[in-house]
Amino acid sequence: MFCEKSLKLIKELDRSQEAMPPFDDDGVRQVFEEMRGLYDQNVAAANDTTADPDGTAISGIAIRHAALERNKRCLLAYAYNRILRVRNMRWQFGPILPHDIKANFNEPEVQWFNNYNICVARYFKSIGAHGLDLTADVKPPKSLYVEVRSLTDYGKLELDNGEVVLLKKHSTHLMSRAQCEPLITQGVLEQISN
Amino acid sequence: MFCHGLISLDGGCQQLCHHRKIMSLCHSYVPNYFSIPDILATQEKVPCTFEVQVKHLGFLDPGSDKRDIEVGTNIELPFWMASVLKTQRPAIADVGLPKIFKESYRDILKADPVVVDLHKLAPYFYEFGMSLCMLNHRESPEIVNVLVESFKQRFRKILDWAQHSNIEVPESKKLDNAEKIIYQAGREVGSSLHLWLTEGGSLIMAAGMVMQHKKMKLTQRDLLQ
Amino acid sequence: MDPSEVEFIAEKERVSIVPNFNNATVHLISGDVGPFRAGLPVNVPVWMALNLRQRQKCRILAPDWLDVDKLEALKEEEKASKYFTKMPSEHYMVVAQLILSAVEDDIPRIEEIRMAVKNLWDVRISKLRSSVDTFIKSGGSHARLDYLTTMEINSVRPLLPHALDFIDRLNKASEGAPRRDLSQD
Repeated sequence: MFCEKSLKLIKELDRSQEAMPPFDDDGVRQVFEEMRGLYDQNVAAANDTTADPDGTAISGIAIRHAALERNKRCLLAYAYNRILRVRNMRWQFGPILPHDIKANFNEPEVQWFNNYNICVARYFKSIGAHGLDLTADVKPPKSLYVEVRSLTDYGKLELDNGEVVLLKKHSTHLMSRAQCEPLITQGVLEQISN
Repeated sequence: MFCHGLISLDGGCQQLCHHRKIMSLCHSYVPNYFSIPDILATQEKVPCTFEVQVKHLGFLDPGSDKRDIEVGTNIELPFWMASVLKTQRPAIADVGLPKIFKESYRDILKADPVVVDLHKLAPYFYEFGMSLCMLNHRESPEIVNVLVESFKQRFRKILDWAQHSNIEVPESKKLDNAEKIIYQAGREVGSSLHLWLTEGGSLIMAAGMVMQHKKMKLTQRDLLQ
Repeated sequence: MDPSEVEFIAEKERVSIVPNFNNATVHLISGDVGPFRAGLPVNVPVWMALNLRQRQKCRILAPDWLDVDKLEALKEEEKASKYFTKMPSEHYMVVAQLILSAVEDDIPRIEEIRMAVKNLWDVRISKLRSSVDTFIKSGGSHARLDYLTTMEINSVRPLLPHALDFIDRLNKASEGAPRRDLSQD
């Protein structure tokens, strides 16, 4: 059957939901090969219509062409949906991604992420007189300080007031909201509810 | 003064959407060229009866080893191909209805749509049904009717499940993909409302993708041990 | 919207407080507040009341509807009525939640009040859900619901609009219209 390879790419992406599976170079190459084959056969069939007086070759061409279009759609959807996930990651993980996630990007995706990072940073800087971090204060803040618990052995952290605290697993701290919010979103700290 | 600058935040936070999906506004799902669900929905098979001979493509029929497809051959083909066969002038093949949209199945859905396991019937039941209708089958109006009525009857359950629980209801596995998308959107609202009622609304939470990544790492570590 | 965003909007509602300090009128973007005279009640936004209370600069006077008997009466009226009844505050649920958690010690029978608010909310939410279901089943395209509060409306979003969009797409399928959003092709 036509387009089985490209369907496999899409299914793989669908299964992984929001996570990032490794870029399937081999799968993509195989789809390109099938497309090349379909194209060559169609060119040959189109040039050969003189030997086809009853005009039935057109049906075969139409079917192969549909398969070409389908493969194209799958490949583009594969690349596009991966980029959407990359973009989403900038907003959820922040400007630096965990290594094991970035390892699954291909080279153009790494490039794209870096460029997007620059774009976002430039935009944040351009808002208002002093810039505005759009990922901060996602929920209306209630207080300037919050109580947090460390979920990992993060190490030393210098606070805004110059004090240095040691973030150990299960240690609790009272920190300025602005400073700990990114650490909470990234799963280093959790806020303790009162 | 006595507000510690809280005033300056007045009205500044509303343009940001739901915490876990900062980037995406809450649009309802409409398939486009790049939609993964739409690509999968158009992969569902439909019965095709060939009306012209097609040379060299006999391998599309898994039940035969002939070189060509002969007139009158019946093959089940994915919808994306079937729609091309049908819309060529003259048509290459006639496209019939898959059994899940035939009258006998439609009657089951009409009798009690709420209990049917749509996911088992076709994971993309509604999208597939809508696609079929584009081919202007003579039973299309009937199909649309069943699609609309089934969804309307099943909606109450989605509504209840989404707002009642903070866990995924096992029965929700019987929802088709489109219903599931609506259910998940509702569930997120349900659980954030629950959280607000119990904990208050100001807690900062880890981002959705970060949580997912953490979970994945934990399971990987468990597997290694 | 996240409930915390609705809460943020609701914090602009006004409540009465009795301050224990003196201060001139404060000019804010949203309007003037004050002047503050120790011992004299004054109307302030909820967020300011909570902040002052936290720093023991005032006593919050609970709104008169935040009372077991009044809430019970509202609930009975709600049960008896086919339509939604008017609430004493556009954000009754949020205001109740916020004030009750801030004035733990000042108000007697606080647990009962909390229960009464929750009961009223439950009656209204289940009524809302039934009417949403009836609306979907009847195939209507518009409906008029008065007196719903923001938090209540928020509880059926995005479920209801998404379901309506979906039904619209299903209906259009019979016209043989293209299913896809072609603008993005």
